[in-house]
Amino acid sequence: MEHLDHLAKQQWLIPLLPLVAAGIQSLLPRGKRKLSAGICLLAMGGACALALRAFFATLGHHGDEPVRAVWNFTWFAFGNTSLDMGFILDPLTAGMAAMVSFVGFWIFVNATGYMHDDENFTRFFCFLSLFAAAMLGMVISNNLLLMFMCWELVGLCSYLLIGFWYFKPSAAAAMKKAFITTRVGDVGFFIGILLLYWKTGTLNLYTPDGTGALQQEAIAKLITEPYFWGLTVAGFIALMLFIGAMGKSAQFPLHVWLPDAMEGPTPVSALIHAATMVAAGVFMVGRMFPVFTASSADWVMDFVMWVGCITAVFSATIAVAQFDIKRVLAYSTCSQLGFMVMALGAGGLSAGQFHLLTHAFFKALLFLGSGCVIIGTHHEQDMRKMGGLKKYMPITFWCYFIGYLALSGFPLTAGFFSKDEVLLQTFYKNKLVWGLATFAAFLTAFYMTRQMYMVFAGMWRGGDHGRGHGHDDHGHGHHGGHEPHEVPWNMWLPIAVLSVFALLMGWLGTPWLKGNLFHHYVAPHEEAPHHSNLVLWLSIGVGLIGIFLGWLIYGRNTMVRATDADPLQAKLGGLFTALNRKWYVDEIYEATIIRLTMACGTLFRVFDKLVIDGVLHAIAGLTKALSQVCRWIGDELLINGGFDASCEGVRGSGSLLSKLQSGKVQNYFAFLSVGTIILVVVYFFKQ
Amino acid sequence: MTIPLGHYLILAGIIFAIGLAGALTRKNAIIVLIAIELMFNAAILNLIAFWHYKQFAALTGQMFAIFAISIAAAESAIGLALVIAIYRHYKSVDVDDIKSLKG
Amino acid sequence: MDYAFWTISGITVLGALLAVTLRNLVHCVLSLILFFLGIAAHYFLLRADFIGAVQILIYIGAVAVLILFAIMLTRNVTGEAGPQEVVGVKWWIGSLCAALTAGLISFAVRADSVAETLSPGPKATVAVADIGKGFVGNWIVPFEAMAVLLTAALIGAVVIALEEVRNRR
Repeated sequence: MEHLDHLAKQQWLIPLLPLVAAGIQSLLPRGKRKLSAGICLLAMGGACALALRAFFATLGHHGDEPVRAVWNFTWFAFGNTSLDMGFILDPLTAGMAAMVSFVGFWIFVNATGYMHDDENFTRFFCFLSLFAAAMLGMVISNNLLLMFMCWELVGLCSYLLIGFWYFKPSAAAAMKKAFITTRVGDVGFFIGILLLYWKTGTLNLYTPDGTGALQQEAIAKLITEPYFWGLTVAGFIALMLFIGAMGKSAQFPLHVWLPDAMEGPTPVSALIHAATMVAAGVFMVGRMFPVFTASSADWVMDFVMWVGCITAVFSATIAVAQFDIKRVLAYSTCSQLGFMVMALGAGGLSAGQFHLLTHAFFKALLFLGSGCVIIGTHHEQDMRKMGGLKKYMPITFWCYFIGYLALSGFPLTAGFFSKDEVLLQTFYKNKLVWGLATFAAFLTAFYMTRQMYMVFAGMWRGGDHGRGHGHDDHGHGHHGGHEPHEVPWNMWLPIAVLSVFALLMGWLGTPWLKGNLFHHYVAPHEEAPHHSNLVLWLSIGVGLIGIFLGWLIYGRNTMVRATDADPLQAKLGGLFTALNRKWYVDEIYEATIIRLTMACGTLFRVFDKLVIDGVLHAIAGLTKALSQVCRWIGDELLINGGFDASCEGVRGSGSLLSKLQSGKVQNYFAFLSVGTIILVVVYFFKQ
Repeated sequence: MTIPLGHYLILAGIIFAIGLAGALTRKNAIIVLIAIELMFNAAILNLIAFWHYKQFAALTGQMFAIFAISIAAAESAIGLALVIAIYRHYKSVDVDDIKSLKG
Repeated sequence: MDYAFWTISGITVLGALLAVTLRNLVHCVLSLILFFLGIAAHYFLLRADFIGAVQILIYIGAVAVLILFAIMLTRNVTGEAGPQEVVGVKWWIGSLCAALTAGLISFAVRADSVAETLSPGPKATVAVADIGKGFVGNWIVPFEAMAVLLTAALIGAVVIALEEVRNRR
């Protein structure tokens, strides 16, 4: 344990490295691309090494004591009260930090390729490093205040990165949307923090002497006190915290920002909107899990589970009908986040966190893969205009294929094991939720198969567009610049590395090798759900059916021209349009909330005009009338007469002195200073 | 070894002098306001330094500082409003252009 | 303590100097913020934590932002350099006055032995709660006067800044 304490004291070094890198980036001139990338990679690599060291130190403790080391210190004292800060090292943090820094590192490598031609290369890496620092800071914080600060920093960085190409109006709109939507959730998070501080008097999560907010003493206090809506204080705090997580992790109905956030560069999508930032919400719920599970009488956990479930199914259905390669992945991310939240709501900390970790690997892989595709096809994102890429981009194809298998839950891949855990967890909690989740798993397999066939199989359809007006005269050679090509090594190497993990990571959480290793690691005290063959085979079954159905519809006869209708469109008709338009959620928001806000604004303006202005005008009129009366009686007769005479005298002398008056204030001020100095000198030397 | 009170007083004096120089020499009204803020801060630093060294138990020094800060805030709000009004009128914030007081 | 004082003093004086000498207005405000931070750090050193926090909140949070707004409202947003400054009579008078002031203050401080011999206070801070109680106890009258003053300043600032608009109507 002493070794752990020692490491906990050094946790702050992990976010410090990328933070310093971001600081250096901000000062670098634009041209220093190599140096900039080098510094960032070095910092991330260092952070990754530190995180892995901490991770390995937390392994192999089998005692009853939870593996946890914290280090708290006073940040700031206001007289008798003080604000603390602190860092923590426990399995949750160690696993998450290792994942974020490791995946982050490879995303950075990929970004050096993706952003190769962008003129704001250094600015991009500055934001990216800052983002990684904020995320790592959030992960290691043992204090809600620090966590909230990093949380907001993460939000800020996502705002900056989504709008990295701010000159595109769609990107500018998306950055605002992401910022404002997550802010709605953050209000909840903040209320939760304040309430927790008010009720327990501390923001430290754990302290060595047991006074932390998540330790028995505080929790016991929280669950005894009833609060609103049939909740205990603990339940209410949990609800508020969860609202924060809903915003960050894009849970229904605050999910609208995530798909739009695909406007940013693709490595950003991979880093922020697949692997780490959206994971922040899920991680926070996991970190605050004692509050969530404290009171069994509360309905908060069911609420969490249902929100996750609805999100999972809802986004999966939308993903079926999208044409933008990144949008499909974005909705898939939403759906997978729903899975994690659902698992947490069903009481499965380890299941939720395990899915979070495996998903981070294979979703980062898929996003980076889609980035490779986009680069390989010269910035084409519409899947209808792709096709046949397997021939042109073999490495990308095989890595993407592995990611696809993992996400679809193909047996023995990473996604299979973690999804199985989630399904198992919900199976014992609520059969309806389990059924819906299984349906979502089926949809996942289906839309991913659809994507694979549209992108990689069949014929290259991208040329259709350009062939009409003989474009090939610019010295690109016979095939021209419009043929897709394989990406450079610094883009495919990351996805190759990640694909290894996407294949093999699942074995950490398999129930078959002498119990679930990950479960023992993260939540040794949590009761593991019994293994169920029904859940297992059904999960395998729906995955295979989804793949088969995808093959049936998209695989047998692939699209020939980019303008062909989606085969599914014929079968589903109007429903397909509804799905393609994302169930009209944006339109509903437009029609209700935004309309309502505008209406309120108009109402208040009318009120302002009629009532407030009216009152003011009445008062003004009255005052005017009164002053008129006073003027006639007092001013004209008495005062003016007497004054006029004396003023004449003053004017004569004034015209003499006015030569000194230049009218410039500074001159007057200079006179004043000189005069003062003379007075002071006289005062000193007269003694 | 601790810092004697005199160091703080001299520091405040230097800051005050810098502010004075700025207020006397710069032509831009906003910089003049900035310079005035410097002088205010120098004075408040003196208050706190004296409180720290002399009247530690009593609150007076801190209270004075808070009142002074409030006044400074009010002053800067008014000052900047004036700058904006003057700019609207003269289309300039150069203090040498503003001389309607000229006799 | 010693090093902290010298470092912070250096930063503070540097910030103050830059704030009144730079040509770019926005850069001036940024240096001003540096200066404010230095002063706040001094307050923390002097164990006046609350004042330090107030300094950061009011000066950096409000005054500096206000000045930035004034810059944006009075010239184009890039905060381009002001009119050409000339080293003329005015400059010499101003610098001389400033130098004399600094000299006189140093002289006065040196001449007074009390300033050198006073020992600093105990290592404890005033609780914020006590300051709050002070506001509604001993210092209630100045506190209320301050409230009136701030209200008057608020209304006054609005009126002054709005005047031109009203005339135009």
